[in-house]
Amino acid sequence: MSLEVDPRRAGRLPFIAAWGIMLLMAGMSLLTAFLRMGVWAPVLEFTIAALQVAILFILFMRLKGPPSLRWVFAASGFFWLLFLYGLSMTDYATRHSWPTQRVEIENPRD
Amino acid sequence: MPSSRTIAPEIQYASLAQQGETAQIGMWVFLVNETLFFGALIFTYFLYRLSYPSEFAVAAKDAVLWCGSTNLVLLLTSSLTMVLAINAAAQGRRSEMVAWLIATLALGFLFLGFKGYEYFEDVRDKVVPGLNFEMKPGEAPAGELFWVFYWVATGLHAVHLSIGIGLILYMLLWRIRRGEITPTYYAPLEVVAIYWSFVDAVWLFLYPCIYLVGRS
Amino acid sequence: MSIAAFEPGAEPAADVESSNYLTARNTIASWLLTRDHKRIALLFMASITFFFFVGGFAATLMRMNLATPGGLLQPSVYNRMFTMHGIIMVWFFLIPSIPATLGNFFIPLMIGARDLAFPRVNLASWYVFNLSGLVVLFALVMGGADTGWTFYTPLSTEYANGYVFAAAMAVFINGFSSIMTALNFIVTIHRLRAPGMTWMRLPLFVWGVYAVSVVMLTATPVLAMDTFLLAVERFLGVGLFDPSRGGDPLLWQHMFWFYSHPAVYIMILPGMGVVSEIIPCFARRPVFGYAGMVVALMAIAVLSFFVWAHHMFVAGISIYAGVVFSLMTFFVAVPSAIKVFNWTVSLHKGAILFDAPMLYALGFVLLFTLGGITGLMLATLAVDVHVHGTYFVVAHFHYIMVGATVSAFFGGLHYWWPKITGRLYPEIWARFAAILMYFGFNLTFFPQFVLGYLGMPRRSYTYPPEWQSWNLLSSAGASILAVAYLMPLLYLGWSLIWGRRAGPNPWRATGLEWTIPSPPPSGNFEHTPHVALGPYSYDPERGRYISQDGTSHAV
Repeated sequence: MSLEVDPRRAGRLPFIAAWGIMLLMAGMSLLTAFLRMGVWAPVLEFTIAALQVAILFILFMRLKGPPSLRWVFAASGFFWLLFLYGLSMTDYATRHSWPTQRVEIENPRD
Repeated sequence: MPSSRTIAPEIQYASLAQQGETAQIGMWVFLVNETLFFGALIFTYFLYRLSYPSEFAVAAKDAVLWCGSTNLVLLLTSSLTMVLAINAAAQGRRSEMVAWLIATLALGFLFLGFKGYEYFEDVRDKVVPGLNFEMKPGEAPAGELFWVFYWVATGLHAVHLSIGIGLILYMLLWRIRRGEITPTYYAPLEVVAIYWSFVDAVWLFLYPCIYLVGRS
Repeated sequence: MSIAAFEPGAEPAADVESSNYLTARNTIASWLLTRDHKRIALLFMASITFFFFVGGFAATLMRMNLATPGGLLQPSVYNRMFTMHGIIMVWFFLIPSIPATLGNFFIPLMIGARDLAFPRVNLASWYVFNLSGLVVLFALVMGGADTGWTFYTPLSTEYANGYVFAAAMAVFINGFSSIMTALNFIVTIHRLRAPGMTWMRLPLFVWGVYAVSVVMLTATPVLAMDTFLLAVERFLGVGLFDPSRGGDPLLWQHMFWFYSHPAVYIMILPGMGVVSEIIPCFARRPVFGYAGMVVALMAIAVLSFFVWAHHMFVAGISIYAGVVFSLMTFFVAVPSAIKVFNWTVSLHKGAILFDAPMLYALGFVLLFTLGGITGLMLATLAVDVHVHGTYFVVAHFHYIMVGATVSAFFGGLHYWWPKITGRLYPEIWARFAAILMYFGFNLTFFPQFVLGYLGMPRRSYTYPPEWQSWNLLSSAGASILAVAYLMPLLYLGWSLIWGRRAGPNPWRATGLEWTIPSPPPSGNFEHTPHVALGPYSYDPERGRYISQDGTSHAV
């Protein structure tokens, strides 16, 4: 899209290497599921997913490089989700009548 | 095959470069919207999974892991082929660009194929809420919510993927055939590539949500 | 790079002096397939005006019904009326009103561009809007939904037997129109500003539209997902929001209000932008505290996302969440208050002209203040417990959405009417309509504060007879308001044919849009404007004003 051919675009190796790394990470994630890691398993799995998405965004979707304005938009979607998740949890984490179908009742005050 | 025509920028743009950059920015702005759309869905998933961990673990056992994992590999590879097509476009290697785009298409169709087969398996396993859902012991009643999320999320993802396939076809059969994608101006293809990789990113998050629950 | 410097040669030159965006190529296809943002603005104007009167018709029936306790409509019909009134007014009038009409028309002109960044997306936005309009009309004609515009579960998912699915799908589709418009504005304002038009030289209307676009872009997808899940639950009978199956009905409300609270700011921010244009021009003074106004607009846009559960204080959320959201709601009032102070101070030592746009703008400031203060009352948990679900709330939001936003819309329409049409409207009639609207509005909605305080619930087709006098006042006011809304249709329409022709700058204003002919040529600017200074360079003491392109004019 610029008038000269961007020399960085000439290289295939970075992308192939990144693809390989993402496949490895996917394998790690899969492995994590089968180890008995309890609550840490999803933490690790989603961290790996986030890192893979970061590689996709920065390298494959070419976030690095101009125009830097795109970073603002790339980040703001996730940032805005924090509002939804975070503020909603002020309700769900403290509402005694939630969840409704749990067998063990933690707070008989319901 | 028509040779590349001189493309003029639209009247509101000073140059093709500005037009192309702006188109890319436009796609990123659109992705803010998509992030929040899928993010809201994943929020409901997170809420219910945090609230009903054991029910979700039981329910998720019926997810077809090999299909999900195969599809993950297919999509990651398709992001690679897509970016290689962009590289080829930037360097004027037209037939290579077309080849990589066709490879991307093929991977996309393969994804849909495996997804379709997986849906067939799911119907057979009776995990379709509203249709033939069979509650398993230890799953009731919140486990069904896992499967509601599954069908909505993978269904919407498949729709987005199909739109991506449509966009690539449009590039191949319309813009590229008319010579409108050149090393000077290949922004429309870049825009499609960004969208495509985003659809891949969504699957990267859906994968642990659906296929890696309750496996240990 | 964000500055555009385009060549004038790209489009066919407008040799004929009388050729402008209205007269150039006047076939139906040239209008329905146009890429010109000005024509698309007029297309939107037609659509939203139509829906304004559809929603207004529902309101007329409601107020006629409420004039007496005996009523006029069957209860189930009344329920469908208030539902469709809400849905149509919110999504098919208020949300698109200023952005898709005045925003579409003037954003490129005010930043010195020749069109928006994505003209075809702009046109697509209008078609998608009309598609959603067809769906909502279908729902209306087939009998409507009766869940209230808020579609709360489980009424909407399980028990309601109206056209809930159609209404929800209309809203879903409508969301895409919003998103496309927002996307276009954000990218345009970032990338297509003329040389010299830095961010802090942008007119406040542009900032207002930018802020509203940010909100539209980030809030609407959550509503889209929420309505989609509503449809899934209604259609397939699953239990996403059903407590007996592990779901949470409040989850529907959380996601709904995550959008719908920012939505009310979508409805007010552009109005604030319009008023910020009118007040400096008709007070002949720069606006007070430009930077503060900018920060306030953006702060409102962001803070609006932190307050949504104040609609749910008595719905069953945790009391701790209630405290958090109440506190956040108090915070969001601060930037709004700053704006009210700044508008007021902008009048100080001004040479105020009471033309119709200014009457609407001044009315806006007063009505917005009243609406905002009552909002703070509602934000107070202890008060809200008593007045939630009463006419107090109804009055509060109508003061903002009708008193403020519709005033701003009419103010902007009158302010920019000469530019859009090349005609001057008859000033006496316009002032009369503005004053009539102000009185009609207050007569309609102030009694509703009283009724709410007395305990009259909203969404009820009848009420105890001791409240009839207040209701009668309100209905009487509504009939005056209806006249005030119909009058502009008449005299603005009259002006299109018999109005005096307008010059480029009848109001002696400083924006870039006033440096080009009225109506503008299709390509807006013959040469790229070069912006020399900020907006609102009114200098009454020295007897001059300076346009943003640097040209000085004697007052």
